[in-house]
Amino acid sequence: MSHLNVKVAAIEQVTEHVKHFTLVSENGEKLPAFSGGSHVVLALNIKGRIHRNPYSLMSSPLHTESYGVSVRKQEMSRGGSVYMHEQIEVGSRFQITYPVNLFSLSKLSHKNILIAGGIGITPFMSQIVDLNRLQTDYELHYAYRSPEHAAFREEIEEMCGDRSHFYVASDGQMMDFYALLSKQPLGTHVYVCGPEPMVNAMIAAARELGWPEKHIHNEQFTAPQIGDSFKVKLAISNIELEVPSEMSMLEAIEEAGVDAPFLCRGGACGRCELEVVSCDGSIIHHDNYLTDAEKNSGKKIMPCVSRAKCQNIVVNL
Amino acid sequence: MERQYWIRSKPVYTSLLWHEKATGHVVIAEGDGGMAVLKLLQQKYPTQIVRGFFAKSPDTLKNYADIITSLVPDEFTVFANADEALKALKNSLPDCYMGTRFYVAGSEAFIWQVTKELYKFGVQSDDIDKELCGTLARTVYCVHCKTMTKNAHYNIVTCEGCQRKLFVRDHFSRRLGAYMGLMVDAEQPGDIPPIIEVYP
Repeated sequence: MSHLNVKVAAIEQVTEHVKHFTLVSENGEKLPAFSGGSHVVLALNIKGRIHRNPYSLMSSPLHTESYGVSVRKQEMSRGGSVYMHEQIEVGSRFQITYPVNLFSLSKLSHKNILIAGGIGITPFMSQIVDLNRLQTDYELHYAYRSPEHAAFREEIEEMCGDRSHFYVASDGQMMDFYALLSKQPLGTHVYVCGPEPMVNAMIAAARELGWPEKHIHNEQFTAPQIGDSFKVKLAISNIELEVPSEMSMLEAIEEAGVDAPFLCRGGACGRCELEVVSCDGSIIHHDNYLTDAEKNSGKKIMPCVSRAKCQNIVVNL
Repeated sequence: MERQYWIRSKPVYTSLLWHEKATGHVVIAEGDGGMAVLKLLQQKYPTQIVRGFFAKSPDTLKNYADIITSLVPDEFTVFANADEALKALKNSLPDCYMGTRFYVAGSEAFIWQVTKELYKFGVQSDDIDKELCGTLARTVYCVHCKTMTKNAHYNIVTCEGCQRKLFVRDHFSRRLGAYMGLMVDAEQPGDIPPIIEVYP
């Protein structure tokens, strides 16, 4: 997989927990074009081990002299975001993947409702640019914890005007999904990005109101979770390896020198799907890609986020 | 019908079933599609608002219009033909909200005529439940002269535009509501396979 070499041109502390990074290509050339909602995967060398974290591109698709990504510091994580906050400085260099869009706007929509919770605002920042350019009808509904967490509010007000609506949890302002979705004209599409309970509540409301699946869009990147270590055998490569508790199965496979396929690294896209030959325990699925039936069958695993609770698992790779 | 492989654009029609979760229901049917409407009415009636548009057609076996009118006089309106039903449907669509479920029944030509109308309002083909009734007759799009030949019942039809003998394929255009027709004897003129009524 080909990568882009970038360096950090600017860093801005947006809120207490959110930093914004401006990335430019190392050779000074323009970066590849992308569409609103795209993300890139950053490859960070943390203590000699490569961490790969996906982040939405939130800069304008019209200006690819640089890319903008915003990172919320997650203390209870495996260290990627903390590293971005504490170690990365202006001039830092690393590799990123080409942009991929798993959260694109429907070209068939007549109206778009964008629903963001907290740092889930990031993919919408580039989508808003596209919507303004295409002059498509839209509304943005952005919920955050308290006034100090109002990341990018001014920018949004400037870009969206009265199309933007803000909900401040500390002031008791809550989004009412049923009210929001019950009187929308035909041809409306809804997009949600935010914490899992919010995403699930929005999807449930839309389904309850009879919205067809093709009109409901969500982006839910799951970070790989910490778990018990387990042994993996790669049947085709004939390699045995151990997945340590703080590493994902995909990372462990890469560490062993096997070029495994991946795209989003967040359990969303399905690219890294592996066939399970055998497992002497159970698979702990964390992805949003496999169907419940596939998860229950125990025949497939998404190694970017899922783990196994077992002694040995054999996969076809 | 083509064996061994499956043409992904070939639409698959199912039986109409009310969606339990909806903000409203709109049923549009023509001719023999009346049977699909009657089958819907055999199911547990929805709690949400139902609006029906039924277009009469001269060649139906039963007088479905009268049966439907006697069963659901307030909810369904009967029209003399498909064009009038579509006109009334169009006028009612701006009042519909997301969550309105659409059910279409009738000939394939009618189903895609309705789908095309709904598409203009942002309703996607996948959002619409469709039941094919009465006939398997196909509309055929000639890839040579672009003429549409309607009501094709045979595996090979004569193009109404260029008179070529066209083999009717399963490749279907949702935009045109028609199947692809290719000259069957292009390589060996006059070599026409047996012509069989496969779409009665």
